[in-house]
Amino acid sequence: MRRTRKDWNLILIVALLGVAVLLPLAVRSNQYTLVLLTTILLYGVLATAWNVIGGLAGQLDLAAGAYLGLGAFTTGTLLIRWNISPWLGMILGGLVAIGFAFLVGYPLFRFGVKEVWYALSSAALVEVLRVTFLIWSQVGGPVERYLPYHEWSLYHLRFATYMPFYYIMLGMLVLALLVNHWIRHSRLGYYLMALGENEEAAEVLGVNTQGCKLQALAVYAFLVGMTGGIYACMYGFIHPNFFSGPMSTEVAILGIVGGLGITYGPVMAAILLVSAREFLRANLGGQLEGLYLVVYAAVLILIALFRPQGLGPLVRQAYDRLLSRVAKE
Amino acid sequence: MAAPILQVSQLTKRFGNLVALNDVSLEIRKGEIFSIIGPNGAGKTTLFFNIIGLQKPDAGRVLFNGTDITGKPPHKICSLGITCTFQVPRAFANMTVEEAVRVGAYRRYQGREMLRKVDEVLQICELEEYRHQRCCDMGLAPLRRVELARALATEPVLLLLDEAGAGLNPTELAGLMDILRRLNEEKHITLCIVEHVMQMVMGLAQRIVVLDYGEVIAEGTPQEISTNPRVIEAYLGKGAVC
Amino acid sequence: MTNILLQNLINGALTGCIYALIALGLSLIFGVMNVVNFAHGDFVMLSMYLTFWIGLWAGADAVFTPLLTFPALFLIGLLAYYALIDRTLRQRYVTQIAVTVGLMTFLRALAQLIWKAQPRALPYSLIQGSIQIGPYTILASRLVSAAVSVLAILGVYLFLSQTWAGRAIRAASDDLDAASLLGVPYRQTYALAFGLGSALTAIAGGLLMTFQQVDPTMGVRFGLLSWCVLAMAGLGSIPGLLISGIIVGAAEAIGMSLWDPRARSLIVYLLFILVLWLRPRGLFGRK
Repeated sequence: MRRTRKDWNLILIVALLGVAVLLPLAVRSNQYTLVLLTTILLYGVLATAWNVIGGLAGQLDLAAGAYLGLGAFTTGTLLIRWNISPWLGMILGGLVAIGFAFLVGYPLFRFGVKEVWYALSSAALVEVLRVTFLIWSQVGGPVERYLPYHEWSLYHLRFATYMPFYYIMLGMLVLALLVNHWIRHSRLGYYLMALGENEEAAEVLGVNTQGCKLQALAVYAFLVGMTGGIYACMYGFIHPNFFSGPMSTEVAILGIVGGLGITYGPVMAAILLVSAREFLRANLGGQLEGLYLVVYAAVLILIALFRPQGLGPLVRQAYDRLLSRVAKE
Repeated sequence: MAAPILQVSQLTKRFGNLVALNDVSLEIRKGEIFSIIGPNGAGKTTLFFNIIGLQKPDAGRVLFNGTDITGKPPHKICSLGITCTFQVPRAFANMTVEEAVRVGAYRRYQGREMLRKVDEVLQICELEEYRHQRCCDMGLAPLRRVELARALATEPVLLLLDEAGAGLNPTELAGLMDILRRLNEEKHITLCIVEHVMQMVMGLAQRIVVLDYGEVIAEGTPQEISTNPRVIEAYLGKGAVC
Repeated sequence: MTNILLQNLINGALTGCIYALIALGLSLIFGVMNVVNFAHGDFVMLSMYLTFWIGLWAGADAVFTPLLTFPALFLIGLLAYYALIDRTLRQRYVTQIAVTVGLMTFLRALAQLIWKAQPRALPYSLIQGSIQIGPYTILASRLVSAAVSVLAILGVYLFLSQTWAGRAIRAASDDLDAASLLGVPYRQTYALAFGLGSALTAIAGGLLMTFQQVDPTMGVRFGLLSWCVLAMAGLGSIPGLLISGIIVGAAEAIGMSLWDPRARSLIVYLLFILVLWLRPRGLFGRK
């Protein structure tokens, strides 16, 4: 029985999933590696979610940090003040993120408003939220607010080890990938592709461009907001620096480098670049910590100039070639 | 005489000090092939954009089957049954022909019915062989048909075409006219062609409106228009009427 | 109480003239090629650092440094255009702006790395003292900065209306196709606009250094300020930019004194979002 391409894809996905599930068990004792792996997954989730607004809807969003922070503060505050489980807090965090996202997106996704304004506003949103929460001492303030410590509490989502967070993050990643895949092959996906190609033509064909962009934005903001809740529980505290401009840019870079619109692209970019960042940090020490951002920026520029489709298609080509060789045997 | 399907009354559009459309009124009747012609800069495309919702008029109204669609967004107008193709093809460059047509078909259908609609439209527009080609790899004539196919997939009641005949050689032109004629006769789609290519206008249109400097200067059948001295003057200048 | 408010208002309005100058640079670029240089605010930061170094080593006053920094930033702008923008003109819009985001991140991170967070300021200036008008004190440096900014804006206005190159830029921003038919070479025009727009930050940077200090986060602040002024002004009106700059500067100052000095970016952002909600074409925009 000859295996079709779809079969091979399925085998690959199952294999990757298997590796992902078993990996932390292999490094169980090494917290440092666990943190690294979880961080890679975290960026994978963020970048894959970003793909919905950046790759599918074609909007350069620079506000991932804003939604992450909002999710973190919502979840964290609800937990600290009223002992509400982060499982619920995550959902609410996602909704809060959507609220703020629409504040910026609604006026700027109107037909005819130049795309760049959204990019600028989203970049500004992060910075402004950071300052706001820094000043607003009731909820934020300059000092970290710590989440209650529990050695192992599923309700509070607090653990003494990173292992459970790894699996939760993995679950989020699978969710984000599925959402991406589902949207791409749905009507929304086609509409988004069309408006990305030519907004006027899409409009006259019945595409509500503003509505579609807002839908994509909502999905993205919700996913990132949810992840913010997990983020807070992972780190055990909340702080206005969560509203990080550099992190927002990083997420966008991962999305672009991975390949706009390609479902698996951002994850690959996350694995590559976050590992590289760790490598730099480990070898060059704290003094040159900012160097990784310089490297990221350089990579972004190079990709945008020479391989604007991103790394995704390259990997796909390699995969295709591998498949055809295997199929011959 | 068939009932009017589109009524434009006293449409005015200004760009700063330039009056692109001045008190333009016209009527398109159900099932006919209507044409808007005029020399360059007459305001044909502006009128087009104002009907389809890409621009908002400064004064006047557009009524479609009795509903006021003045200034409504294009996607709502498409849902009501009007769509268009553009003079300069606004192609979905990186999408395949099939994917582009799907976008149109998704307006009214989902799933298997959507796919069936796509097949149907590709057949009518003779694009079956180009199904998997990317739009950016298409030549002008087939690309025009892709534009048409996309629009058709939304099942319009009224289809506006902006200079669809421009740049086509005689064979391609005849092919396009054929398709349009069939759409009008078999599918009963009302057509409004904004055109420069006289062959297409004279060969297809049942009624024509002539614009010049943003105003309607003549209205009638092809026969009446071609012998109208004001029209000749608009195109060829004073002194051309002999 | 109102005296302090009015004092801050005056200061803010004067500083706003510099904001207008920065925004003008951005407007030149955006108007012509529909690309916003995300790194524009960081060019201001760069100019300020260059001013600092030249001031320190050559002992020159900040006001004279633009003689050197203007051509320097012009060249940097040209370089940025040809190396980055020119090549991405055919790409998706996301990619086009992504390139400038990359430039911004690059400059900002590099600045953080090299200069750390320690602010630098020039120790002296030829422009000393202040003027008293009633109960209000106006620092001479602020007054001169505002005056020079307005002169520079006027200069650009004249350039755009009187010179061939300037008119080429205006033509290209109105209608690129028509302009190329008339012989306007679009690439060179784009490059000129980018270079000139960037060079204007050199003047602004020099002026700012007469009463400000510089640190690597300046790019964030001036980026936001210039976008806000541009949004408020819209495209196509230079007087509009000046007025918007003054409004933004005044609003920032009032907000800081009435609310919280740390909230300066918040006020500007609220203004920014408000304008985009209500009048996305800007108050004076013609496009």
